[in-house]
Amino acid sequence: MFMRHKGGLTALAIALMTSALPAHADFWSDAGAKYKGVVLHGVTESSPPSAYIKDVLAPEFEAKTGIKVEIETTSWDQMYDKAIKDMEAGTGIYDMVYIEQDIIYAYLQRNFLVNMTKALAEKPELKAATYDESHFTTFANYFKNGDGDLFGVPMEAFIKVYLYRTDLFNDPAIQAAFKEKTGKDLKPATTHEDYTAIADFFTEYGKANGLDLWGSTAQAHTGHPASWYEFFESIAPTFGVYNWGIDANNNYAASVANGGTMNSDKAKEALKWWLHLRDIAPPESPQSTWTETATTFAAGRVAQGLIYGENAAWIASDASKSKVVGMVGTALPPLSDGVMADAESGKGYIGYYDGGAFGLPASSKNQEAALLFLQYIGQDEVQPGWAAAAPRITNTATYDAQEVKDMNAQLGGYYDMLRDQGKLFAGAPPYPFHAQVREATAPIFYDILTGKIGPDEGLDAMAAKAEEELTSLGYRK
Amino acid sequence: MQSKKLGWLLLSPTLFILGLFGIFPFIYVVWVSFHEWNPFAANPEKLFNWAENYRKVVFDAQFLASLGVTLAFVFFAVVSEVVIGYLLAQAFMKNFPGKSFFRTIHTLPLIMAPIIVGSIWKLMTTPSIGIIPNLLDTWFGIDLNIGQSALAAFSITVIMDIWHWTPLVTLSLIAALVSLPSDPFEQAQIDGANKRQVFWHITLPMIRPALIATVFIRLMDAMRTVDEVLMLTGGGPGSATRYVGVHIYKEVFPRTNYGYGSAISVIVLYLSIVICWLLYVSLIAPRNKKG
Repeated sequence: MFMRHKGGLTALAIALMTSALPAHADFWSDAGAKYKGVVLHGVTESSPPSAYIKDVLAPEFEAKTGIKVEIETTSWDQMYDKAIKDMEAGTGIYDMVYIEQDIIYAYLQRNFLVNMTKALAEKPELKAATYDESHFTTFANYFKNGDGDLFGVPMEAFIKVYLYRTDLFNDPAIQAAFKEKTGKDLKPATTHEDYTAIADFFTEYGKANGLDLWGSTAQAHTGHPASWYEFFESIAPTFGVYNWGIDANNNYAASVANGGTMNSDKAKEALKWWLHLRDIAPPESPQSTWTETATTFAAGRVAQGLIYGENAAWIASDASKSKVVGMVGTALPPLSDGVMADAESGKGYIGYYDGGAFGLPASSKNQEAALLFLQYIGQDEVQPGWAAAAPRITNTATYDAQEVKDMNAQLGGYYDMLRDQGKLFAGAPPYPFHAQVREATAPIFYDILTGKIGPDEGLDAMAAKAEEELTSLGYRK
Repeated sequence: MQSKKLGWLLLSPTLFILGLFGIFPFIYVVWVSFHEWNPFAANPEKLFNWAENYRKVVFDAQFLASLGVTLAFVFFAVVSEVVIGYLLAQAFMKNFPGKSFFRTIHTLPLIMAPIIVGSIWKLMTTPSIGIIPNLLDTWFGIDLNIGQSALAAFSITVIMDIWHWTPLVTLSLIAALVSLPSDPFEQAQIDGANKRQVFWHITLPMIRPALIATVFIRLMDAMRTVDEVLMLTGGGPGSATRYVGVHIYKEVFPRTNYGYGSAISVIVLYLSIVICWLLYVSLIAPRNKKG
């Protein structure tokens, strides 16, 4: 009886307190009230992290603020095309644009983006208490200017990781066959020689056993820049060729003759190594971009490969898309001597740390509402679900969330690697001329892939072309 | 006087739209083509450089190679489309069971966006998942890989274009054939002309205007093909399918070489006009003179 009275009194007290409090909901509804009905438009690359923004975070934000967010997910090149044209012309179509790490330097040079740190300092009423720039991982540094001001909220960050099939690598019969053939134990390769031996073995194994199985992926499209990127951002660094072989401190030299390394012996060795892998990779490799290599791995067609981490989660956990769920291990890429020491000392890096941020174009006509949305996606509390849906971590607190720990186990320790060894990887070099140098040299690279020109003379021609382009653009004097 | 004013008034919306979306952009492209302009250069400003871009175009080996493969692509695609389109149009002139159904099915590719066509053909030609390499391998032992073979990639882009655009030719020619008077054909039959003679001396001369107009449209379209090829091959392998449209796209958008890309665009427009004019002069003008 007493208990029932006590419960009733508590309910009454809560009801009275609720009615006595002022009508204060939360920061998002209060801050968003002024912009209710505004429609924000964003453009981003069609990727798992972007899909989460579109399908989960944007509707959540709209429910809390009344600000509608329309996110356009499109192909990587179309995304840049649309964003750059909009910002160049100042039309203000987009209120948020995806900024891949490699283009931030070009955008900053053109003053395309709003300084978020400064904007929030000038408008404290728009600053969410749950948003804190200091919670971002060091990847956010790529999106800061010299004063440490942030120009984009990091939304995805991942490393291009060495994925391998644990079911194949742990199969005693395969292990014995590998030992017999090579005299070595079958385990993830740490050197290029070992990687090649494993790749050769599995390609032959697949052929001998009538399996659709090959030794390695190769992102070797003969007409798409994905192949160019795989070589210069993921392969060449493991041989000690950094920053595309261009020395920014030496008048942007690319050729060995002028002090660059684009056509160095190491670069040529790297290219020949990769071309061999391409030759023993699945037949779709000459048409594979970053997405297709992931699909190839998920289809169970390769034993190992370098895969962009953004695809690792669905490969390892989504049985509706992947045939290798529960059979995925992660490791660092194979390296030449001295590369790890270079990476640890900060002189070099062992692979590609990719990712991007959502930035606010200076041409946007809804900058204040967009600032709210960008803070919303940068909060700690939205990160774990996002990281579980797409393997990206941009906030330090995310590593401790239970769903992230669970996913980490499924991914063979990928998140541990990102946290502990992410510093060994690096984003694209800080050049404002990425697409320009890439597009100038890519036709020669495609000719190398088709065999029209040899790798040695091809790299020589690419280095010369890169210098010619840099001179034409006014960077090389 | 009153009706003249009314005429201009009624025309003004069309003229406005034409000026805004047709004439002004064209003048702007010509203006930009006389500048060196790359917004990601050390100096992102537009710098007037007279006809330097046009001089560069003439010596640009990549552009010239691109132009060469484009002309080959245009020739094979347009000729095939006209021949197949005519045969189909003749077939659809006859009555057979399911004619309406087949005519509808055959027209479907026309309503597809080029980017979708490129995606479909990419799926159909990717080794491992594509139906075309699988069937060629199973039936004939042919290893089709458009990422490796320049000839295969070129051929597939031509076949894709034929698949996409032949229905346009068919529809145009059906319209032309339907409108032909029956008297000359009856007369030819009475005179004992065979099918070949009827085609060369009656059908072809009478549908010539429609045929030439269709060829002009297809030729100009094929010259500026971009989307479907970009999606299917990206211009590869190497530069095997880097047609001028793809070349201009890569020059203007990813490379942001606005001035030079504009100059190439103007040159390609000029070439299209010249080719059409040559066709007109050789096929239409002499007949008009005779007439």
